[in-house]
This record gives sequence, structure tokens and C-alpha cells, in this order.
Amino acid sequence: MSLPLLGHAWRAFRLRLLVVAAALALWGMLLPIVYDAFGAEISEILDSGLIPEQFLQFTEFGGGDLFSLAGSVSLGFIHPIAVGLGLVFAVGFAAQAIAGERQRGTLEVLLARPLSRRRVYVTMAVATALFIGLSLLALTLGALGGAALTGRVAELGPGNLPVLWLNAFLLYASFGAISLAASVSFDRLAPAIGLSLAFVLVSYFLDVIGDLWPDAEFLQPFSLFHYLDARGALSGLPEASNFVVLGGVVAVAVGYALVVFPRRDLAAPS
Amino acid sequence: MTTTLHPDGPAIATHGLGKRYGRDGVPALADLDLTVLRGEIFGFLGPNGAGKSTAIRLLLGFLHATTGQATVLGHDIARDSVAIRRRVGYLPGGIAFWDELSGERLLDELAALSGQPPILRQELLDRLELSAATLRRPVRAYSRGMRQKLGIIQALQHDPELAILDEPSEGLDPLMQRAFYAILDERKAAGRTIFFSSHVLSEVERVCDRVAIVRHGRLVALEDVATLLTRRKRQVEVRLRAGSVPALAGVPGVSDLVVDGQRVSCRLEGEVGPFLAALAGAEVVDLTIEPANLEDAFLEFYADDAEGDPSPTMVDAS
Repeated sequence: MSLPLLGHAWRAFRLRLLVVAAALALWGMLLPIVYDAFGAEISEILDSGLIPEQFLQFTEFGGGDLFSLAGSVSLGFIHPIAVGLGLVFAVGFAAQAIAGERQRGTLEVLLARPLSRRRVYVTMAVATALFIGLSLLALTLGALGGAALTGRVAELGPGNLPVLWLNAFLLYASFGAISLAASVSFDRLAPAIGLSLAFVLVSYFLDVIGDLWPDAEFLQPFSLFHYLDARGALSGLPEASNFVVLGGVVAVAVGYALVVFPRRDLAAPS
Repeated sequence: MTTTLHPDGPAIATHGLGKRYGRDGVPALADLDLTVLRGEIFGFLGPNGAGKSTAIRLLLGFLHATTGQATVLGHDIARDSVAIRRRVGYLPGGIAFWDELSGERLLDELAALSGQPPILRQELLDRLELSAATLRRPVRAYSRGMRQKLGIIQALQHDPELAILDEPSEGLDPLMQRAFYAILDERKAAGRTIFFSSHVLSEVERVCDRVAIVRHGRLVALEDVATLLTRRKRQVEVRLRAGSVPALAGVPGVSDLVVDGQRVSCRLEGEVGPFLAALAGAEVVDLTIEPANLEDAFLEFYADDAEGDPSPTMVDAS
């Protein structure tokens, strides 16, 4: 790893990190507060039988809901707003890390230094992990803050938050690793970012459709979002297989990039 | 695997170096045999698309050779690319920077990435007239010439043993070009090696010890600049008094001889001495020998292209 390059990436993206982290912290804080304000009423409505049984499946999504604290925190992690903010670095930063520099012509200046391509890649992977980790830390701490504001810290079980953070981190790290693999494979940013976003969107779609339509449930294991089990993590009973699958995806994507990037020809930018 | 280093060996040595692109194997460079000696300024000439940048990118490990091999400062380009770049300063053609940084910050970051102190930076800044106030501005506000100066400084600021410069004087005004040539002369005097590609022939003629000319990916000439100039055919015009036209047809180096009354014109290649000796008995009123310049020598190499392929776009900046 190159510390000067990591420092360069940090200085270039720290403001964006601050904005994203602040937004995620606020978002994380919001859902426990919403639960505290309306959770009981929502639960009563659901229990009253007013909502037909067929529609009850729509009240839960990705293991999240608004009628339990763990459910509201889980919903916060899988909600499109959180996903979108999480992808700022998992896709936005990672996909441009190599392909973006290449397109701008700055990869030449970088690789004119005594840095191997593997070292450049590893540094960018560490930067991606750092940005993702700090963003999700803000989300996790936001949830803790929201629980604290409503006096429900004990109900949340703060001891399980590191497991939740790790599960979410591995999910976004897998997206980051895939985006970096795309980034080392293309000379231009558009295909790298397009491929990465397409992968995330298809993955999200498979998870959502499997949640909302029981006949499509078999599709969920093909989605990486399926392996984010926030409720399980918060209950203290996370499934080890989730971590293994996500860790495996990261390992495969990193391995691919470490093999492909040094072998690529970097012709003069057009 | 390590490379056996020869501290006194050539700065660059290539043997049959070649590169083909794509599935069709379009050759961008073929069988390049080249030796650049330490301490010389070496010009790498050719029109756009001739293979200059491909050769440079092969030397720096950006591309992988399809055929042949090469060493830079004794390091094998296929195995020791990082070691090469530790000892080389590189200016890419049409250089791009992280534009949001200030010039000063950019030079600091690039020096940190190089891992070597920028011992020549202040001197280069002074010589190329980049002020402290300019360096505080973001690079995005720089003109093309200022960006090129920054590119030259980042390539040379750590006093590399070998500088590889791709079209280095592009965008520099004539005064700055002169300052840049003086910098090159000083680096050479300090024992450094300069390898630069160009299509500005006047600058190659001005600063280079030797030149290589590539055409369609192949080396077509590798000469001392002086030899190249000697070999080129100069245009000669002689005006004589009536009745004193000497026999010039058999003089070594003379061709295309035209005698029109008292006016004689011809092409002269090589030494001037035999031609002047042949004129010795004649009454010469006027004699004009067009100075040899590299542009003409170069265009002679490209004479075949004159009709069908206008690609040699050489520029004389003088």
C-alpha cells in the first residue's frame, strides 16, 4: 500500500465523506425516532385486522419494519436512501478509482512513480474500505443516537451493533470490490460505473421482488442484499453464512483485479 | 527475479522490441533495436502514429511487449518496471493533472509518491518562471504553457538519472523553450540522460546528440545529428563568369546537376571539400549552399510518403 496515495485519496474525498456520513447519521437517527413516535399505532393497526393478510407482507421488507426497534434500524440499513448513500463510495469512488484516473489521463502521472499496479490497486481498495467503513459507522452510530434520544438504548442492544456494522460493511465492501474490478477492466469511467450500478440494481431488484412476491423468493439468494441480515445481527444471532458469502465475493473480486490489472496494456489515452 | 545491473551500460537498450494491438495484431512497433548511451540527449523522432509513444510506454511498463526485450538503466522492462520508474523522470505527452490541487500541492504530492526529495524544484521553478503566487493557484486555472512547465518540473524535480520526455516543449513560448533547452544541457552536463520524443525538428537539431527516426512503427534511421545533417542533400546554386563553367558531373556527392548558361545548380551530399576543389579553377561570382537542417533530412526519409500519405506533420518551431 502507498501511504502518500492513500493520503491523496483521503484529501480528495474527505469533504464528500463528511457530507455522506452526516446524511447517513441523520438517516440512522431518524428511523428509531419514527418508530418511537408511531410504532405503537402502526402495530395496533396491523393487529386490528384492518389490513388484509395478503398485504401484510408489504409491511416488512429486508427484515425491516416500523413496529419494532430492531425492525426500524434494519429498515434504515436496507432502505433505498441508505443504499444510495452507501453506494457513493462503494460504486462512485471505487468505479472511478482506476478507470476515472485513466480517462482523465492522471493514471499516467501516478504510474510514472515507482508504484506497482498492484500497490495502486491495494491502496484504492483500502481507501474504498475506509470510506465505506466510516460511512456505515456514521449510520450505525446514528441508529444508536436515535435509540438514545428515545431512551431505548437497552432495547436496541448496543453490543450487537458492531456485528450489524460488520455485516453491512461486508455487503458494501463486496459492491466496492466488484466496482474496483470493473474499474481496472475499462479505460473509461462510463462502462465501469454502468456495470457496477447495474449489478447493484439487479441485486436490489432480486431481493425486493423476493420479499414482496413469495413465488420469487428463490431469487433472493442470488442477491447480495439477501446476505445483509440486520435483524439477525441485532438479535445477537447472525448467520455465519452471510459473512462467508459476502467475504467470498470480496475475495473473488479482489483476486480478479489483482490478476487482471497488472496484465493490462495501458495505451496512450485517446 | 532480479536483473543484473551494469552501472556503465547503456541507459536504454532494446532488442527486437515490438508491440501489436488487438486481436488482429495491428503492429504499432516492430523490431526496435536501439541503444541510448548514458549522458546523452537522444531524440526520438517520427510523425504522429509512428510508434514513439508506444515505445516509451513499453519502456515504462505501461504496455507489455509482444516481441523482443529491453533494459532501462540495466533493469529489464518486463520484470523491473518499478525499479525503472524509481530512477526515471517521465513527462507524458498531453499531460493531465489532478486539477483541483494547487500547483505547489501537486508537486508535493507527486514528490511524495516518488519517494524522493525534490532537490531541483526551486531551481526549475526559477528557470521556467513559475512564481510562488502561480503555484498557489489551482491547476485548473493554468494555461497550457503553465501546465507544461509543471509537467517538466514534476519529471525533473528529483534529478532523475534518466528523463523520458514526450513532446516536452509543446505549449512553451520561444523564451521558455530556450530556458528548457538550457536545462537539458545542464542535466546532460551533470551526467544525466535525456530521451525525448518530438516532431519539432529545430529543437531536436538544437539539443540532441543523436536521433532515431521511426516510421510506421519501424526504425528507419539512428544517427548522430551531425552525421544526419552531413548526409542530407543540400541545394547548391553557383553563378560563374562566362566561359568558366567547370566539369562538376563526376564530383563526389553531386547530383541533379543543371547548367543554365552561367548558372549552375545541383544537389550536394556529404563533404563540401571535393565540390569546392572542383570550383577552384572557375571564376565564381556567387555561391549559395543552403544550410543543412534536420527538417530537410527528415523529409528525405519520408519522401515516399509525400504523394500517398501526408501523415508526417513536422513542425519547425524556429
